Amino acid sequence: MSRRIAVLVFPGTNSEEETLRLLRDCGGTAELVHWSRAATLPSFDAYVLPGGFAYEDRIRAGAIAAHDAMMDHVILGAQAGKLVLGICNGAQILLEAGLVPGTAPVRRPTAAFTRNRPEPHFVCTHVYVKLAIEPARSVLTAALDHAALVPAWTANGEGRLAASDDHLRELQDGDHIAFVYANEDGSVDDTANPNQSALGVAGLCNREGNVLALMPHPERDAWTFNHPDRRRSAAMLAPSGGAVLFRSFVEAVVR
Amino acid sequence: MRRAVAINLKIPDNAAYTALVTLRRLGIELARLERAQIVRFDDAPDPTTLMAAVEADEALFNPNKHRVTVLDSDAPRPGEVWIVQDNDNRPVGWRLYSSPDLPADRAVLAQAAERLLCNPAIERTIFPK
Repeated sequence: MSRRIAVLVFPGTNSEEETLRLLRDCGGTAELVHWSRAATLPSFDAYVLPGGFAYEDRIRAGAIAAHDAMMDHVILGAQAGKLVLGICNGAQILLEAGLVPGTAPVRRPTAAFTRNRPEPHFVCTHVYVKLAIEPARSVLTAALDHAALVPAWTANGEGRLAASDDHLRELQDGDHIAFVYANEDGSVDDTANPNQSALGVAGLCNREGNVLALMPHPERDAWTFNHPDRRRSAAMLAPSGGAVLFRSFVEAVVR
Repeated sequence: MRRAVAINLKIPDNAAYTALVTLRRLGIELARLERAQIVRFDDAPDPTTLMAAVEADEALFNPNKHRVTVLDSDAPRPGEVWIVQDNDNRPVGWRLYSSPDLPADRAVLAQAAERLLCNPAIERTIFPK
């Protein structure tokens, strides 16, 4: 029996369809699991938390969802070594749940993806994220090239990593910084960072490497038609660069 | 004189209800919970003038859904914890009740803040004096 991926749908999730489609395009056996079916989650082998506004971002982005019954199962699964990928709001939930960076007890967050700067505005722009760890550091990125550059769209009002200076050093020293914002040529500087995210962080992984939280949406740059320089041709449905991360994830799940 | 106002919803506050349900799920027994946008003023006029000024500010106050209370002091009331993120003058006030008319004590406030209401990486708490 093939290994199954659950795409979690909280009240307010809004990116589940493209996430599901890309997982399937990459060869994964995936299905949507709504919050009312939380009890079915233990039967899945991996979990993807898509973007959106779970529980309307009440209190803080991800705060209520982190305590949802679905997350009880995700936390237990992650602790047992199952793979977990959170994108955008999914990433915010993983930080609120304490699964990422995972340096404190669960549900005791030590960092947050929070209000953008310099203005706390919604930022929607095309970005590149660069793999900042060795691919094998996380099983989710193991199939990527060294320093892989992944195109994505960022679409959030609260995507800036914030943590204490001491904790940021801990994230660096512990190799938790999985992805940083980069320019199209792969160079990394402040101009690539769309929201003044600390250390230019776009994505974090836990110590064990089986949980990855990524703010930008690679699934929204997964086919040629949604890349900024799309060629209006028969190739519009060809895979685009954002698919590589999902392929790596699916490969890790089925391995 | 420093003063503070609390701006509450007079329509059902879904965020407060969700927080109440979640705190109960975490084992924190509460009868009810209220949420307010707190706005602090450094050099405020008398309470009547201040309330009129707030009610005239369309960025702060919508008469269709809000009510304003001028607080007795520039500090949380009994049973209330303020959560501050970027702006010290705009905390969110969460007022917790252990029974319908009994404000929660400090220990319950601290527990609720630690378990749900405050992410210490980006926020801090202000408790009643």
